[in-house]
Amino acid sequence: MTALAPAMAAARPGLLSRPSTVPALLLLPCMIWIVFFFLLPLALMCWRSLASEGFSLAAYAVLFSSPLYGKVMGTTLKMASIATVCALVLAYPIAYVLTVAGGKLRGLILLFVLIPYWVDIIVRSFSWLIMLGDNGLINKTLIELGLLREPLPLLYNMFSVLIAMVQIVLPITIVTLFGAMLRIDRTLIAAAKIHGASEWQAFRTVFFPLSLPGVYGAGLLVFILAFGFYVTPALLGSPKETMIAQTIMIEASQLLDWAQASAAGAVLLAITTSIAAIYNRYFSLDRLWGGSEP
Amino acid sequence: MSATAGRIGLSAAVIAVIVYLIFPVVVVVAISFSAGNFLRFPPPGLSLRWYETIANDPEWISALWVSVRVGAISAAIATLLGVPAAFALTRYIIPGKSLLSALILCALVTPPIVTALSTYLFFVPLGLVNTIIGLSCAHAVSGMPFVVINTAASLRSADRNLERAAIVHGAHPLWAVMRITLPIISPGIVIGAIFAFVHSTHELLVATFVLGGVGKPVAVKIWSGVQATTDPTIAAASTILIGLAILTFASATATQALAKRRSA
Amino acid sequence: MPLEIEGTLSRTGQSTDTAKASGARLELRNLSKAFGGVRAVDDISLDVPAGAFVSLLGPSGSGKTTTLNLIAGFLTADAGDILLDGRSVADVPSHKRNIGMVFQSYSLFPHMTVAENVAFPLRMRTKLSREEARRRVADMLALVQLSHLAARYPRQLSGGQQQRVAMARALVSHPRLLLMDEPLGALDKKLREQMQFEIKRIHRTVGTTVVYVTHDQSEALTMSDIVVVMHQSRIAQVGAPRALYDAPANLFVADFLGDSNLLPGTIVEAGSAGVLVEVAQGQRVKVTRAEKAPSVGSRAVVLIRPEDMSVHAGPTQSDGMDSLAGTVRDISYHGDSYKLDVAVGEHALKVRLARVSGNGVELGQRVVVAWRPDAARLLPAEDSGLGADGAQP
Repeated sequence: MTALAPAMAAARPGLLSRPSTVPALLLLPCMIWIVFFFLLPLALMCWRSLASEGFSLAAYAVLFSSPLYGKVMGTTLKMASIATVCALVLAYPIAYVLTVAGGKLRGLILLFVLIPYWVDIIVRSFSWLIMLGDNGLINKTLIELGLLREPLPLLYNMFSVLIAMVQIVLPITIVTLFGAMLRIDRTLIAAAKIHGASEWQAFRTVFFPLSLPGVYGAGLLVFILAFGFYVTPALLGSPKETMIAQTIMIEASQLLDWAQASAAGAVLLAITTSIAAIYNRYFSLDRLWGGSEP
Repeated sequence: MSATAGRIGLSAAVIAVIVYLIFPVVVVVAISFSAGNFLRFPPPGLSLRWYETIANDPEWISALWVSVRVGAISAAIATLLGVPAAFALTRYIIPGKSLLSALILCALVTPPIVTALSTYLFFVPLGLVNTIIGLSCAHAVSGMPFVVINTAASLRSADRNLERAAIVHGAHPLWAVMRITLPIISPGIVIGAIFAFVHSTHELLVATFVLGGVGKPVAVKIWSGVQATTDPTIAAASTILIGLAILTFASATATQALAKRRSA
Repeated sequence: MPLEIEGTLSRTGQSTDTAKASGARLELRNLSKAFGGVRAVDDISLDVPAGAFVSLLGPSGSGKTTTLNLIAGFLTADAGDILLDGRSVADVPSHKRNIGMVFQSYSLFPHMTVAENVAFPLRMRTKLSREEARRRVADMLALVQLSHLAARYPRQLSGGQQQRVAMARALVSHPRLLLMDEPLGALDKKLREQMQFEIKRIHRTVGTTVVYVTHDQSEALTMSDIVVVMHQSRIAQVGAPRALYDAPANLFVADFLGDSNLLPGTIVEAGSAGVLVEVAQGQRVKVTRAEKAPSVGSRAVVLIRPEDMSVHAGPTQSDGMDSLAGTVRDISYHGDSYKLDVAVGEHALKVRLARVSGNGVELGQRVVVAWRPDAARLLPAEDSGLGADGAQP
């Protein structure tokens, strides 16, 4: 075999043929970038939270003792929780329809679900400003229809913030739930129906319980996102609805109290990271990458 | 509960939610064409005056241009770094893979204010504040998950044997990846890159901290506009951004289709 | 560089002695590969003579595909060596091993025509002139009888045609080794049988060594010169198809190839004339062909193929036939034959009868199942949890 001989002579196991080198090389640039432009800044922020001159936990002391921070955290927790629950409730039927729908219908609905994504959060919140005002669309329509005499105070309260927040997180909730529901074996539903279950019973006793892990997963994800909201409460809420991101922003940009802002940021980071860690423990991210060799 | 009643209820729910989702978008786009002075919906008449205002305002033009540049650069970086990472994650067994994937996806679940604050504190000593390249580097981090996830999905559904068939019959492995596999997964890569671009044009908090002064991107300008003015210029600016996103998506899809036709 | 068989191919594709000598000798020495702690291939050694058609046969998970991927170079072995014509290729990257491969999903490049697909290895490996390359491609397409489809695209071809293009592509650069990974798995039965014939014809013409992975035992038996039965990452047995079928070395091979009746028992007599095995209370079976001398008292399993058995209404008169009496529990019709399930005590015997003989047998009938003692074989008993009727759990 003439062609084989020279190949034999030239072959020598080089660095590239070591099994662990290639994936390392592929991942390295990405990892270095993330470490440098993401992790290092986070570490720096935590460092700065320990005060500028000398080591001091004063910022943290303020965080945990100040009634302001307590209130803001409480509000944030409340808003994020309510928004998450509402988003899940609204997203579930849509995700379900997406799962059982055929190709065309599914594509159409997905298109509509993803359209809002092309619009930035500011403007989506802003549009609610227009619609919820005393002269806004909703009030005007209700008055014209004779259902109301005076405009409802729909703006600058918890209602306006929540309705906008839910609308903003809804697409990702739907898509996440949809992904989880796709993994449910639909032949189980057929099996239930064959054995006497009605459409509703099959759903209630088979599909719904199986979808619950997906619901929890989506819920965790949405909660994390909702927790860090800034634009929506700033634009649509009153000072009573201030969320933690706004407080940090004020500390940093107006009061220029970097240590305080950093401390609050570190605490916020800790909270969202622990929730994310819980998510990761129960809903493995490895599914994203599929199996490897062979 | 009869099946038809359930079906009707479900359809109603779907329509209601879709209206809930779409309506604000419709409102914004409609108002951008408003002939009136105030933010009224439905608009009193149709006109292009707000677009003219933007076109004649050098500040708006430069803001749009900044957004496009930052978006493009960050998407490009995210793609260059994310595609190889996706290969590594889908094809190899790596110790600590979960940790690494968590790291890449970290940016998605970190509250934007935290990212913004930390990036600013980090950039000040590096002199990266108020630079386009600085903001692009920061946005590349949050754009990476989009690229990695979409590329990985494409890789997983692609037939690996095509690459192997090329290799076993003499093609150098790198050649096979570049000329056989990459074309096959390019739709996934492009979608990821577009998501990264769109995300960058919408991003507010990091942009405010890093490039919030002179030469600010559109998102920051819209935010200050929202709190100050009461005319529909902002709506027009946002509609332009939407148009930009759609344009990018359309041209990408067209290029794909063209490439496919040419190679056939 | 033109090789010897070229002249042969360009004429009519008929085989000559020169063609037969153009396969490589393949050796696997103590090959092992594990994934995350699980051994996929465990210490495999194999010697394939030049030009042979070898099947790697086994159930899924037996390690046959991993072995093929190791030979192809897609995987690196943890231990052991692979030699082609006496030279080690374990460290040679896949694209330099100069072999051809056919995949189950054909893996034809969708953006290239049939002719371009077939020309691919020439483009990658050689520096032939365009004329020369065109000639080789034409020869190959003639060999697989697809010359008229040279300008088509893969998506315009049927499954069988695509597979033939894949073969042409694999063979165009005259590799001395051809690997085939369950190439007929995606085809329906009739097409599969046609393609098996095609593949054998091409093999005879070209003379290259073929390693063929399949889980279909009848395919392996039909096509191969040598069958390698794999089980749980190891080689269970290697041999010519007939040898494996007639003289399986262990329970797995006996059960995997064809139907079998496996009767576990204890050896009560052992002599030069044969061995007597007690399979149940008072029931003894003679085995005249027992290679190894087993010891009295040891456990063993008797293998009798269903087609070696016959069914009689009463005790048989023929000399020297062994027999057991039982009741017919089930009859199934297979077109060309009948398969009976006969309950004999706690055993269930499978009997295969030709169509003519099977007519007239009824369910519930008391029958005598008989066979010639030299049809029985002795197998070592394994602690594999064999059930009472000889079936694997």
